[in-house]
Amino acid sequence: MGSPTCLNPITMKKVLANILVLTFSLAGFSQTQQPVISEDSSRIVELKEVTVTTIQKPAQQQLINFFRANNSATLEEILSRLPEISLLRRGTYGMEPSIRSFTGGQINVLVDGMRIHGACTDKMDPATIYIEPINLENLQIQTATAGFMSGSAIGGTINMKIAEPDFLDANKVTGVISSGFQTAAKSFYESARLNYSTGRWAFRASGTYRNNKNYRSGDGEEVNFSQYEKINYSFSAKYQYDQNTYLKADLLGDDGWNIGYPALPMDVGYAKARIASLSIHRENPSKLLYKWQAKIYGNKIDHAMDDTKRPNIPMHMDMPGWSKTYGAYSEAELKINQKQRLLLRADGSSTFLKASMTMYQPGELPMYMLTWPDNRKNQYGISAAWLLQIDSTLKLQVSGRTDLITYNLVSQEAKDQVSIFGYPSANRNDLLKNLSVLLTKKISQKIKISASIAYSERIPTASELYGFYLFNSNDGYDYIGNPKLNIEKSLQADLSAMYNWKNNRVQLSYFYSSLFDYITGIINSSFSTMTIGANGVKEFINIPEASVSGMEGSVIFKPAPAIDVVSTIRYTTGKDNKGNPLPFILPLKNTTSVRYQPKNFSVQLEAEAASKQDHINIEAGEDITTGYSLLHIRFGYNTIIFKNIIELQGGVENIFDRKYHEHLDWGNIPRPGRNMYIQFRIHL
Amino acid sequence: MKKSLMILLSVAVLCVIVFLSACSKDKIQEADPTEGLTKITEGYATGAAAKVQVYTKETSVTTGYTKFYIALYDSATGNRIEDAHIQLTPMMDMGTMMHSSPYENPASEEAANHLFPCSVTFIMSSMGGTWTLKIQVHNHLNDKEGSLTIPITVNEPAKSRQKSFTAAHNGAKYFISLIEPTSASSKVGINDMEIAIYKKASMMSWPADSSLSVLLTPEMPTMGHGSPNNVNPVHTGNGHYKGKVNFTMTGFWRLNLDFMSGTGVADTTQYFDVEF
Repeated sequence: MGSPTCLNPITMKKVLANILVLTFSLAGFSQTQQPVISEDSSRIVELKEVTVTTIQKPAQQQLINFFRANNSATLEEILSRLPEISLLRRGTYGMEPSIRSFTGGQINVLVDGMRIHGACTDKMDPATIYIEPINLENLQIQTATAGFMSGSAIGGTINMKIAEPDFLDANKVTGVISSGFQTAAKSFYESARLNYSTGRWAFRASGTYRNNKNYRSGDGEEVNFSQYEKINYSFSAKYQYDQNTYLKADLLGDDGWNIGYPALPMDVGYAKARIASLSIHRENPSKLLYKWQAKIYGNKIDHAMDDTKRPNIPMHMDMPGWSKTYGAYSEAELKINQKQRLLLRADGSSTFLKASMTMYQPGELPMYMLTWPDNRKNQYGISAAWLLQIDSTLKLQVSGRTDLITYNLVSQEAKDQVSIFGYPSANRNDLLKNLSVLLTKKISQKIKISASIAYSERIPTASELYGFYLFNSNDGYDYIGNPKLNIEKSLQADLSAMYNWKNNRVQLSYFYSSLFDYITGIINSSFSTMTIGANGVKEFINIPEASVSGMEGSVIFKPAPAIDVVSTIRYTTGKDNKGNPLPFILPLKNTTSVRYQPKNFSVQLEAEAASKQDHINIEAGEDITTGYSLLHIRFGYNTIIFKNIIELQGGVENIFDRKYHEHLDWGNIPRPGRNMYIQFRIHL
Repeated sequence: MKKSLMILLSVAVLCVIVFLSACSKDKIQEADPTEGLTKITEGYATGAAAKVQVYTKETSVTTGYTKFYIALYDSATGNRIEDAHIQLTPMMDMGTMMHSSPYENPASEEAANHLFPCSVTFIMSSMGGTWTLKIQVHNHLNDKEGSLTIPITVNEPAKSRQKSFTAAHNGAKYFISLIEPTSASSKVGINDMEIAIYKKASMMSWPADSSLSVLLTPEMPTMGHGSPNNVNPVHTGNGHYKGKVNFTMTGFWRLNLDFMSGTGVADTTQYFDVEF
């Protein structure tokens, strides 16, 4: 893996190509196989295509290749395996991803470069729920140093690249059908994807259906309101204009309903996303401008919370939310000479958000208010990264981005409501600046180190600016926005070392982030609570300083050709200006897997362990989480019947039926207990 | 069939547009000053040679502070009278006894936008007797005086706008009226708050009071919460107290009012309800 950085496009491309080639070869296509560490033939295709491109950590791609879960895994389950990612859990579904404990407005979550904003004030719908692994081509995760290239952010970027139609089998319908069942939630997973190409045209369609009942936890108890049901469907068309250029149209829909959130007082009645884009891609390796793409897009989300299934609610309420975004971007990669490359990006987007709450007390007029007063965020940004190969062992990368962001309240109703807090104008304009420098040094054939320093800024979110008594069930406080918040800033240093020998690798990263004007909720006792039973009201404010630091490590070890050992470890810690721990930070966590895979059969033993977390923030509603350890076992078998590849998978997760929860799980709702699964897929 | 229907529809739409634009071009006239008001009665102030029209903002008169708009016309020419002195006398006849109530004569002898704004605070509904309002007019055009007495039916509103209490600090009886916000004018956000305070000096004398201070605490009784950043009403003149009240959502709100006289407590039990 010679890629020193994710921004080295050629190497990056190679990596992707390798993975795709591997995928297709394993899937029975006639391609030459290339050596990739820890290849695995028992679980193939989509998840194999999931890659991580953290800066300086190409090894993560192998990690993903190895750590892809079962075929019916949700995107969240895949994300949870990555050492940089943790997930804030309010329900089985709709877990909120964070990168190195940076979350929400601190990170970008993009769908194929497109901005998409959840329509739920309670963050029940992070953009990650609208993408199924089946329509995912790869997953790019960038930490701070390059994490702001596609949007000002202090914590990095998760970009979910949508799968493309291919031209491999002309005039023939190809595809994969999968089906699976899991015992813990009696859940069914059905999916299909089809590809067809003719002449200059290629088409791809996919559909997924999931149906989960309430799951049972480790002690055999049913966890109420943990069910969900959804369908996801996508359609892509690609037109090859000439040898170097193609056009692509993507449509993606996701409909979830009856989604339970055991840790919240309400569930979700429905969550509907519609995503559409049109793009042009040009690639000509011999030219200075060797890669270029432009895209226009739009997406909208309709979301409605539902409390009608809950017993003993004090008052019925409706909480709908709407999000609409449209935008465009253009990206270009330039090869100035053998030693210099340049990546440029310009983008703009406009997001409208509105959410309301209506409470019904019999005999009275309904109580209506805007929880997100109608607001529009317009964003215009440009970014550039310059890559210089100083000598054969030393590389320099300088990245920068600036964003002009405007926020406006767009209805009189919204303005009237925000005026309650004494803000004559809640509109704002901000110019955000980001800069990073990265140095990579190859000390020997086996050792490579890199160091980077990054300054980045982020805009407060709509909730932080305009949120109107947003109830947080974890700490029991109503949150009020503050349109006068300063932008949050971060200064981050990152150090990483990698040791490679044969097919083995050890990698260690350390990072330290100093945050300035850190945005957090502080109790304001002059406000009275709105939510019945709330503990009080918190207002978003800037605190002068906070810090987050941590490390990630991974070992990939191949003692014999048929045996792989992979182990990852992570630890993050954070504190505010008074030395109190920051909330929602995972304790030390290790995942270790051993896989034995002679030919077309594989067996894998996986151990997951987390230490006790007692660095807690009581004001944020946290309590001590005890440590836990889990053991999973997985089997895989491939065969060919009537010229079709059949994959069979099965396994037992949480073999010892432990009752446990992770530190980021709201309400200490226990996770699923012993879960047996079986699934098969047929390649058409 | 379908096509002809479309043509017909288009012609109709065109006609309406032409008609509407013709209307708007023809009438470049001053707006009617009584636009949006309800005429509750009219009659002649005999002796003053004036026709009297009485308007209110609401469609019916209810207990509490009621704003009247009086229009005067020369009974011979029909021209507006813009310069007159008007004196009100509200009276409640309860059979065994009679009493007046607080009122405000027009502030100026010059009409404002052709009308004479004034007010009467009806301290009870017509359930208890008969309300009359005597309007004395001194027509400055002909220097003649005369009066008109009209019966007024005062209904009890759905949400009371009129309260009274006997003050703890001096034993006097105070009458308080909610002027703003009304259920109709309320919105989520900052609302103007206005009350009027009158003291009962005798059955016939109800002067405005400026001696009290007011503490406003809005709440939603159903939800058990209040709202932030309210401004206590303070005296601005003629017994009127103005402040601000914030409603964080629609629905049923209670405006709790405490009345103080310096450091002495006058009353802490009063409230007005607003629902929108």
